[in-house]
Amino acid sequence: MIFVNDLHKKFGPNHVLKGVNCHIREQEVVCVIGPSGSGKSTFLRCMNGLESITSGSIVINKHTLNDSKTNINLVRQEVGMVFQHFNLFPHLRVIDNVMLAPLRVSRISKEEAHAKAETLLAKVGLAQKMDAYPGNLSGGQMQRVAIARALAMDPKIMLFDEPTSALDPEIVGEVLTVMKDLASEGMTMVVVTHEMGFAREVADRVIFMDQGLIVEEGSPEQIFASPQHERTQGFLSKVL
Amino acid sequence: MFRAFGWQDLIPLAKGAWLTIQLCAVSGILGIFFGLILGLARTSPSRIARWISTIYIFCIRGIPILVIIFFIFFGIPLLFPGMELDKFAAAVIALTVFAAAYVAEIVRGSIEAIPKGQSEAAEALGLDYWRKLRYVVLPQAMKIMVPPGVGFLIGLVKDSSLVTVTGFIELTQAGNIVTNLTGDPIKTFLVVAAMYFIICYGISRLGRLYERRTGIHINALKLPEPAGL
Repeated sequence: MIFVNDLHKKFGPNHVLKGVNCHIREQEVVCVIGPSGSGKSTFLRCMNGLESITSGSIVINKHTLNDSKTNINLVRQEVGMVFQHFNLFPHLRVIDNVMLAPLRVSRISKEEAHAKAETLLAKVGLAQKMDAYPGNLSGGQMQRVAIARALAMDPKIMLFDEPTSALDPEIVGEVLTVMKDLASEGMTMVVVTHEMGFAREVADRVIFMDQGLIVEEGSPEQIFASPQHERTQGFLSKVL
Repeated sequence: MFRAFGWQDLIPLAKGAWLTIQLCAVSGILGIFFGLILGLARTSPSRIARWISTIYIFCIRGIPILVIIFFIFFGIPLLFPGMELDKFAAAVIALTVFAAAYVAEIVRGSIEAIPKGQSEAAEALGLDYWRKLRYVVLPQAMKIMVPPGVGFLIGLVKDSSLVTVTGFIELTQAGNIVTNLTGDPIKTFLVVAAMYFIICYGISRLGRLYERRTGIHINALKLPEPAGL
């Protein structure tokens, strides 16, 4: 589903990704962990073209991202993204946030888009907030709307960039619950997270990144119970 | 021989005020239209578009408006021989040329004030550049543009008095004429000042009204910019 081959990313002189290789299978839930500055968010952002690739390649569902013939907007319709800071559109009501892309990109009818958005909001438990503006929601509610918005394009893959890092501890759970449901429905998910509990419980595979490289990957049991690399051990001893 | 300043003198002044309003309305609308295009060009991904608009903006902002007025009024008939340019048209062109550059900078500032996360969220949903502008960036930027835009329009009304140098009889020039008839600059220009004030105050009120009707939700979502990596 996603093939990443020798991915390099430089920001000026700053070499952030130094040759990342990875293959993500359909319906797999992969959690990416690692210290801040390890390049995990950049890695995720490269996967839907929010960051350009310096060298190497990413192939998603047979679309080669850094090929000039690829229409990046078509790829993005298959790849949903959820951001740390939600990035809801503050000038639009919740329902319009969710309807925007189906209406303007897929060009389905207004009724259809509305019905779909309603279903998705119900799914994340926010049907009653349909007509509210994002500014009147709590952080957890905003992030759930953001998930519904990303799902509105029927993506085949969902990318999560530290979806709970900007939330108060007591409302992290409501967002993780929605993500767990999504995982159990068989969504392919790549989650950059600091929630080790979530990674341990939901991930099929955990990737540990440090200094722009994948240092170690394996099942959650492997990574959390018996990490092989000393940098993994060092990181986990600090966060667990 | 002078005659006393009387009620009948209000008529030419009111006519002048009306011409000032027409002049500013037309050049304001055209200025906003071209300013929007230039502002979009200035923030566009195309290097050529950015380059052209930047040069235009810097040139116009570096020239006094009076020079622009002289240039258009006296220059165009020389550059295009046989072209009849009436004073109103010349004034509109001069003020539009001037306004577009300033409006463009207001537009650019407002677009750049929208957090990068908004663009990224729109892109991640598959919106292309124009749809992202149309549905996500501009609706939010519009609300930010209003206060400086209103300020600029008020400035434009006052700057429009400079077109008197062409002999176009707008409010200030009407004041001059009435003063020459009555020899009473104090009363005349008090009335002129009051008329300018009313026009400017009206624009302010309209701006406030617009802000109050649309600006409720914009600052509701104050979030820090993503840290980056």
